[in-house]
Amino acid sequence: MPNHPVPVPSSVLAALKNKTIHLSAAKMIHSLFLVNASGDIFLEKHWKSVVSRSVCDYFFEALERATEPENVPPVIPTPHHYLINVLRHRIYFVAVIQSEVPPLFVIEFLHRVVDTFQDYFGVCTEAAIKDNVVVVYELLEEMLDNGFPLATESNILKELIKPPTILRTVVNTITGSTNVGEQLPTGQLSVVPWRRTGVKYTNNEAYFDVIEEIDAIIDKSGSTITAEIQGVIDACVKLTGMPDLTLSFMNPRLLDDVSFHPCVRFKRWEAERILSFIPPDGNFRLLSYHVSSQNLVAIPVYVKHNISFREGSSQGRFELTLGPKQTMGKAVESVLVSSQLPRGVLNANLNPSQGTYTFDPVTKLLSWDVGKINPQKLPSLKGSMSLQAGASKPDENPTINIQFKIQQLAISGLKVNRLDMYGEKYKPFKGIKYMTKAGKFQVRT
Amino acid sequence: MPYLGSEEVVKELRRALSNPNVQADRLRYKNYITKVIRYMTQGLDVSALFMDMVKASATVDIVQKKLVYLYMCTYASDKPDLALLAINTLRKDCADPNPMVRGLALRNMCNFRMPGMTEYIEQPIVAGLRDKASYVRRVAVLGCAKMHSLQPNTEIDGTIVNELYALLRDPDPVVVVNCLRALEEILKDEGGVVINKPIAHHLLNRMKDLDSWAQSEVLTFLLRYRPRSDDELFDILSLLDAFLLSSHAHVAVATLRLFLHLASAHPTVQADALLRTSAPLLATCGAASRELRFAGLCHVQQVMRSQPGLFGTHYKRFFCGYSEPSYIKFRKMEILVELVNDENVALVLEELRSYCTDVSPELAQAAIAAIGRIARTYSEKCLDILTGLLGLKQDHITSAVIQTFRDLVWFCPQSTAAVCQTVGACVDSPQDSEGKQALLWLLGEHGDQISSAPYVMEGYIDGLKTELSSAVKMELLTAAVKMFLCRPAETQDMLGRLLHYCIEEESDVCVRDRALLYYRLLQRGVEETRKVVTGPKSDPSMSVLTGRQEEPISEWDSTFNTLGPLAGCDLCPQTAATSAADQPSCRAENELLPESTDVTLSSPDDAEEEISLSLGPPLSHETFEKMWLDLETLHRQTLGFPRPRAAPDTLQAALQLVKIQTLAFTPGDTVPWKAYIYTRSTETLILAELLQGDQQAPGSDESLVVSVKQQPVNQHAIRGFPSRSVVYRVCFSQVNQTNYTFVVF
Repeated sequence: MPNHPVPVPSSVLAALKNKTIHLSAAKMIHSLFLVNASGDIFLEKHWKSVVSRSVCDYFFEALERATEPENVPPVIPTPHHYLINVLRHRIYFVAVIQSEVPPLFVIEFLHRVVDTFQDYFGVCTEAAIKDNVVVVYELLEEMLDNGFPLATESNILKELIKPPTILRTVVNTITGSTNVGEQLPTGQLSVVPWRRTGVKYTNNEAYFDVIEEIDAIIDKSGSTITAEIQGVIDACVKLTGMPDLTLSFMNPRLLDDVSFHPCVRFKRWEAERILSFIPPDGNFRLLSYHVSSQNLVAIPVYVKHNISFREGSSQGRFELTLGPKQTMGKAVESVLVSSQLPRGVLNANLNPSQGTYTFDPVTKLLSWDVGKINPQKLPSLKGSMSLQAGASKPDENPTINIQFKIQQLAISGLKVNRLDMYGEKYKPFKGIKYMTKAGKFQVRT
Repeated sequence: MPYLGSEEVVKELRRALSNPNVQADRLRYKNYITKVIRYMTQGLDVSALFMDMVKASATVDIVQKKLVYLYMCTYASDKPDLALLAINTLRKDCADPNPMVRGLALRNMCNFRMPGMTEYIEQPIVAGLRDKASYVRRVAVLGCAKMHSLQPNTEIDGTIVNELYALLRDPDPVVVVNCLRALEEILKDEGGVVINKPIAHHLLNRMKDLDSWAQSEVLTFLLRYRPRSDDELFDILSLLDAFLLSSHAHVAVATLRLFLHLASAHPTVQADALLRTSAPLLATCGAASRELRFAGLCHVQQVMRSQPGLFGTHYKRFFCGYSEPSYIKFRKMEILVELVNDENVALVLEELRSYCTDVSPELAQAAIAAIGRIARTYSEKCLDILTGLLGLKQDHITSAVIQTFRDLVWFCPQSTAAVCQTVGACVDSPQDSEGKQALLWLLGEHGDQISSAPYVMEGYIDGLKTELSSAVKMELLTAAVKMFLCRPAETQDMLGRLLHYCIEEESDVCVRDRALLYYRLLQRGVEETRKVVTGPKSDPSMSVLTGRQEEPISEWDSTFNTLGPLAGCDLCPQTAATSAADQPSCRAENELLPESTDVTLSSPDDAEEEISLSLGPPLSHETFEKMWLDLETLHRQTLGFPRPRAAPDTLQAALQLVKIQTLAFTPGDTVPWKAYIYTRSTETLILAELLQGDQQAPGSDESLVVSVKQQPVNQHAIRGFPSRSVVYRVCFSQVNQTNYTFVVF
């Protein structure tokens, strides 16, 4: 019975079994290697002694075994180390661990590193990292010392190391100054650890974005197999002084599995279902939540499909029509349909009523850039597929992945009731924006 | 990567760095330094430039300083004598008015990994511990640990340790955590930092000021603390309560681990904590990052070992997405198998069925194996699906289905007839050696029920010359001998040919020896051979009935939130155990043990009073009813546990294995719940009624009442009652997964 994709060598297993589980938290992350899609190490950082690059050979072995780049298991045991990797933006971030650590801790930390890079450079690509190699090292140095996470809040980091901008690069070149903060972040001395003291703005504003991603699997007949909504409220708060905010919802009971930014007073939420908090300065994620009870999740689009192959015939039929439903009158935009057609399909000859489609005969990937759905004239894609002569009828019809966006709508029905500010005298400008996106939205045919 | 031609590059850089014109132009100078760092990070050896780089450290530009420090830290251990030159600059920087520069210099000085550094860094570190800027204190505290690791064998400096313990009270939360980290490392040989009551409570009170990383680490340190009293324990737990729902999965999981550890004497508290954390755990399983999802799934799998019911209603969360990586899909399938119950079985099977045609053969085979595991409880539905899969005529699917059939027959004998029918009707045969072995095992073991068995086997014997795998040949030998024992007329000739070929022409020694063994065995006579070769046709242990049992939390909490389960070396004990037992060839030992066909039940205290039960001819409903009404109740007893909440199929199969026939059940949760069962013992027929929730029968609200009648009355059995009662443990695998004790008279 294949239990695990990667067979672990028995010698390693024996070594692991003998490893006593010590409750030590010492030596978290020893080294970090960045590996690109073609398997080259293009950056390394060691927080303790230098670990030879050859340790990555175990990772490369796993990479070779994996059929797809994302199939590399996140934790790879080696005789002396563990390798924990995350794959983001086609770059593997491989952490070398020398002793027992909580795995979620390391994985989340690596993601935080990537988030920080993205925050600093706009994109997190190999080219961006190589261009900003100096800032990357400064960041890694501040984020970890001796293998322990230190400053990871982007607020604080940005005061230690200023992010590179084109303007600043020009200014630096002229004035010869650098992008290192001259002053220490004052946040460290504040009573509220996530907020620095003495914040001043001329325009006081607080924006909240309610962003929901809907993950769903829809079966052949159009009924929902699973559907859940993952929502976040991201905030951008630029308020002077020490404001104390409260935010209340019209329907707070909708939310399952809520998790908060540490600034939110949990007791108050438990008692009154009100979010009360002193916000960090700048951008932060106020909360994330799930809505998963089947009946609550509205599915905003439907798909009518007829994809059929006949036994013995070298032609297949392909018909697809999209339509909006339960969108509360809001437009469904940026629709992108993609589907992996069966291996036997040689080519597809289709006719879209709007947008453009491409079919890659090598990867068999069909993608259709639909754009906006017009409820009066539903977009459709119809035509025929030619199959390999003599090949048997494919066993299974393809799965269709759909991406879309709906502005000004939180599909769960979540609505912010009001936002109040206490503790400061001025009147802030407040804004709330809603948006729904497709996450992993699949339709089986 | 410029590993080649590095000398040219180094030469050119040195020329540039030592050029006074470049040195005068700050920007150009810095650009060259950046270039050096870039080459260094790409793995090029630029250590030859050490002298030039040390010179560059004397600058007011902090970024340039950082770069040079980075360079020096990397190569200091290779060039200790040159590195000493840089120390003076660094020491001067340690007294800089800018705390940032002080911290930076101190940190880098501590990072120089070369002997003899201690005497230079000790004084700045001690000064740094008392610095007024927390940034510098943070660096200095970790510096103590680094200093210790430079000379690990020297005696521990008591004053520094005391100073660090004192700094645990520092107002800056990061300093506090760094102290723990440093002490842990310095005191490693003495078992790490000591967490006594004042320290534990101090840390607990500071928890909310810490960042999530520090929280997670402090929670791990707190595992060392044992509260003195229950009051203290509950104080601690209520302080920690909010962290169970932390937005950071790693904090929530670390808190859960601490909860499980602290409350090991309070199972209800543990269960409550598991229940509360199930929401964040499920959220992690649906996180956007694949790696987090994977880690979440591994943790869910561990929790399910003790609380299988916790995630039952959320089974749909474990359906695989189309684009998920295979390591997640494998875990999800393993979880789905555990979550199957009467209500969701149809949906789960349909879902697994759709994975069976996955592009990746490994995934398809895993899905088929998963269906096979479910088939041990819900045979009929699964067999339909598996039979349907054979119709797809895909090699890897056929092979996996046949292997699944083999395991199924072994663990779940009541499905034998259906499997044999399917295998008999199956036209194409598996192509890989595992599949071939499985098919041959089935043919040999159950040849009497598969009419076409000898002809299929003949095909294999004829194709022996082209067969490469010796494992298949061995299996073929065993199967042919078994087949000969049950269908001698059809098999004799081909067995002769097979043995002749294997003894005379086979080059593999193992196969030849095995053939010789069988040949000599057959010379001793057929009956002798039968005794040796045939064995039990199904798993003689009752593992099919026990299924997964709830394990105590202590079984797994020590590895919870550690790397083991994710690295795949802590697979669920069941999968690990069965994978060994799944191979029929491993069962050779079992097969050799003679075993009577009747299950013999022996009471532990009295060997004389053995009662053996057998199924015998089935009773019709009418006969049973007539006898039940005619006979008097010989014995009635309250069993002290509720009725098994298993599916009727399971219950029936389970009882059949202990040679008890079922006549009728009340369906579902109807109250009162009744079951009629019967069995035969030596010359007597035993009838029994199980009853729960009947108003008239006293004591039946909560637990089962069993009434027993016998025909003819066996005096021997009655006289010795109740000491003669034979206690039989039957464990039902489904739903509530608790042990049940059945009393059979």
